[in-house]
Amino acid sequence: MASTKKKKFKDQNFFDYTLLFVVIFLIVFGLVMIYSTSSYEAASDFNDSTLYLRRQLFATILGVFVMAATTLIDYHLWERFSLIGAVVAFVLVLLVLTPLGIEVNGARRWVGIGPLSMQPAEVVKIEVILFCAVLITKMNKKRISSIKGMFTILMLPAIFAVMLWQITNNLSSAIIVGGIAVVMLFVADSDYLKYILALLAVIAVAALVVYVATHWESGSFRLKRVKVWLDPESDPSDTGFQTLQALYAIGSGGIFGKGLGNSMQKLGFLPEAQNDMIFSIICEELGLFGALAVILLFLLLIWRCMVIANNSPDLFGAMLVVGVMAHFAIQVILNIAVVTNTMPNTGISLPFISYGGTSEMFLMAEIGLVLNVSRQIRLRDAM
Amino acid sequence: MQDQRRNFREPEKEKKVKKFSIRMQKKLVVLFLIVLLAFVGLSARLILINKENGENYKRKILSQQSYDSRVLPFKRGDILDAQGSKLAYSEKVYNLIIDSKLMLQAKTALEPTLAALDACFDVDVDEIRNYINEHPASQYYVVAKQLTYDEIAPFVEMQNNKKDYPDITGVWFEEEYRRVYPYGTLACDVIGFTTADNMGAFGMEQYYNDVLNGTNGREYGYLTEDSNLERSTRSAEDGKILVSTIDANIQGIVEKYIAQWNHEHEGANAYRAGQLGSYNTGVIVMDPRNGEVLAMAGYPVFDLNDPRSLSGNGLYTEEQIAAMDDEAYYAALNSLWRNYCISDTYEPGSTAKTLTIAAALDSGAISGTESYYCGGVYEVSGHQIHCNKRIGHGMLTVSGSLEQSCNVALMQIGEAMGRSTFMEYLSNYNMGLKTNIDLAGEARTDTLIYDPETMVASDLAISTFGQGYNVTMIQMASAFCSIINGGYYYQPHVVKEIRNPDGTTIERVEPRVLKQTVSETTSAQMREYLARVCVDGTGTLAVPAGYYIGGKTGTAEMYPRKQGNYVVSFIGFAPIDDPQVVIYVVIDRPNVEDQPHSNFAQEITKNILTEILPYLQIFRTGELSEADEEYLKNLGILPKDVVAEEGETVGEGEGEPEEGTAAPVGQVDPATGYATDPNTGEALNPSTYAPVDPYSSDLDGIGAVVDEDANPLPQGEGGE
Repeated sequence: MASTKKKKFKDQNFFDYTLLFVVIFLIVFGLVMIYSTSSYEAASDFNDSTLYLRRQLFATILGVFVMAATTLIDYHLWERFSLIGAVVAFVLVLLVLTPLGIEVNGARRWVGIGPLSMQPAEVVKIEVILFCAVLITKMNKKRISSIKGMFTILMLPAIFAVMLWQITNNLSSAIIVGGIAVVMLFVADSDYLKYILALLAVIAVAALVVYVATHWESGSFRLKRVKVWLDPESDPSDTGFQTLQALYAIGSGGIFGKGLGNSMQKLGFLPEAQNDMIFSIICEELGLFGALAVILLFLLLIWRCMVIANNSPDLFGAMLVVGVMAHFAIQVILNIAVVTNTMPNTGISLPFISYGGTSEMFLMAEIGLVLNVSRQIRLRDAM
Repeated sequence: MQDQRRNFREPEKEKKVKKFSIRMQKKLVVLFLIVLLAFVGLSARLILINKENGENYKRKILSQQSYDSRVLPFKRGDILDAQGSKLAYSEKVYNLIIDSKLMLQAKTALEPTLAALDACFDVDVDEIRNYINEHPASQYYVVAKQLTYDEIAPFVEMQNNKKDYPDITGVWFEEEYRRVYPYGTLACDVIGFTTADNMGAFGMEQYYNDVLNGTNGREYGYLTEDSNLERSTRSAEDGKILVSTIDANIQGIVEKYIAQWNHEHEGANAYRAGQLGSYNTGVIVMDPRNGEVLAMAGYPVFDLNDPRSLSGNGLYTEEQIAAMDDEAYYAALNSLWRNYCISDTYEPGSTAKTLTIAAALDSGAISGTESYYCGGVYEVSGHQIHCNKRIGHGMLTVSGSLEQSCNVALMQIGEAMGRSTFMEYLSNYNMGLKTNIDLAGEARTDTLIYDPETMVASDLAISTFGQGYNVTMIQMASAFCSIINGGYYYQPHVVKEIRNPDGTTIERVEPRVLKQTVSETTSAQMREYLARVCVDGTGTLAVPAGYYIGGKTGTAEMYPRKQGNYVVSFIGFAPIDDPQVVIYVVIDRPNVEDQPHSNFAQEITKNILTEILPYLQIFRTGELSEADEEYLKNLGILPKDVVAEEGETVGEGEGEPEEGTAAPVGQVDPATGYATDPNTGEALNPSTYAPVDPYSSDLDGIGAVVDEDANPLPQGEGGE
């Protein structure tokens, strides 16, 4: 019976075109913005204004193939790779310490051979999504809600987070990895109380850090960043400089901005504007209108993820989508929060828009996963 | 695909598949709402930033941008001599600037950049490193100044080579111009120099500062109506070019002989042991036909390329300079920089007798036929005023009184005129007034001459022979020009043309006759008298071999009197019937015990005229003795071996050596040998001579210049 029903709906499989087009739009818009923000510096530093654009385009084209593959391959296949993936991610992070590791701007976060390089942190993120989804699917509800179950699920992500933090000195990736795991657990767990308590604890710790930062003279650069966050003008030459310049860019955009390509801040005042601070240039060139449009697009993306998760054929698919959704939501929120100086400066890129090849490819792979889940929604079940 | 998927799922389907429970779905919605809330919060923050700080931040950005404009320096105009040689020009140079902030921004840039600086420049890298560490926010630190393009080229190459030197950053070159004086000390007083900010000091550089300077350009960003930044460049407007009347060749000759005479009278064996040959030696060479100054020199000289050096000419030892305080140091520099010829005043002495006699003749007070008796002393209102010859000159004609430079006769001529006539003429000669020569620093002399209302008879008496009132050299030379050129007082000037940077003439300085001082007749009479001074009178030593010149000597006792300090001088002109050049030589306190005679000034005059008269194409009309010929040959004025006949053979060029000819037709400097040899039979057509540049900037080529000028000599002149 079920089999015949399935046959009947076989040709009416769902595909989330909304999500696909939102993603395509974000990717293309990201390329345009990367050219706009990087061309000046690329031309003055390397005498080649399209340098960053071409590199990103290359990663995007690779990403299209990766995304096509993950869209077409049944996501259940990946279930088997969760443990191997963990080993691979583990090794990749450790490779940073070997001569294969690449140091850029004083941070050792890349591994590479020849012209190809990648950031292990991106592999870790997708692995954590897969691993948590598999684990949650395997456990029963009661175990998930137990403290022991919570620790079981969070243990591996925690190990990865600590590794990323300590080995690659990349606190922001560690926060994202931890955040993804916690959000997935939150959705799977039927309990609310302990998350509210945890949130309160985080707020308390944050308040303590702020208190310490303001009342202690300390050389720690993270504490210093907190200080600069509270008062960016106190250190306009160094850490506060970037934040201030980003704020200037946002504030000077007005409602409709100065027009695409007309940013003044990218002309040397906001260094590497194509990276984490690209959103401030969007605000400057396209104004509040453009910035809110971008935020809406991301909201649309996250909303589609929610819809797909809620209609997914099984728990594993749903948890994969929740993981991806958490990944996007955390990065977008943290990025915009940093750019607007709502939180202290940590380097978090804006998905699909900031410059960065590895990130672009893996984000596209994740979207492919979500699209594959969406393809397996049976229309009868959907709404 | 579909099949594959089904295969995958079907074996374990339905029974094991866990669903995404309703409770989870609800929690996911809660999660979405939290995300939505966060997005709304961030959007609100964006709007708030715009609303509260938008205007402020806009201004901040604009104020950051304004630093971005860059000055494009103008090029100060050249100063050319009369023949087009560059006396001064501006050369583009580069200042090496360090931008610490930029260098530290890229964390790997510091050491590679310093290494590159170390490799390319002679700089102290440790000092730069210290500076960068101490001033991490500094964006403008001048490490080296005024490097030439060749000096910075290797570094610029490295900077542009991103492949091999990817990390060089935070270094840039600021353009500016450096003033270069290719002749160094030549005409230093007349040219003047510039300070670092293109401000002229002394001489033409100061007087024509505004003409020489252009306007700085600017590369700047400006905002359009939509607050878009546009870049624009307003290019610099270069300064204008001055063409001077100064002729570097004549100037070089003049300075050579000033220096020669001073060197002969300086040092340990001199009268004032260890001092220079004179306190100052000034020479002016002018063209009486238009007031152009052909040469103007003082002594000692300084190097225009290094005007603040006191040790350059051996004027002061290092110890002496070290011992100076600031005041003494600048006083020493100022006296060095001063242009003696226009800035210093002195009593002219007997050269002024020319002015007195011309005035007396012109006013009709004397006719020229009078005779005066000189008994060696003359009493004027109770004062016994001596003649320079204590035993007296006896009976003298007007001409004779000038020839013998007799004070007693002059006092009588002055009496014949009366003080009002005398003073009227003096003021006609521009005494007491500025000549307004186009040079900075001309002295005022209005308080240094007698007031006709209050002067007494003895004042008039001493004024007649040039004591009692002060003049500058340029006043005296200009007045003298007017007396011998027919009475026309030309405003003296050193610039004859102003050109645009592209070379087109925008202003030509025409000769300006300011007034008629004496009549043509008086002028002709004076030329005759002055010529006799150099034949029978006191001025015979000044006459260059083969020429007839006119002139007057001068010896003025300095105030306070009776200290044995004199200003000795000679003023002369040539040729006697058609004056084309006036020379005035003044030696301030020659470094000898026996000062009161003008022999030294005459000696310098003779030396200078010997060389510049042929150069000015003024030809010998007198005979040359064997000694004279030898002397001229040694100077290179006459060719050493071959003296061509000046006859009608010019065209044929078969010049054969002949004694006594003053015309070396078409001869060349044998040392250089770049022109036609008369023995080859080649025609010595002047036009074939053209390739040889007679005004080559090389001053040592004076011999060649002279030969060139001897070429178109009119026939039948020299050998009588």
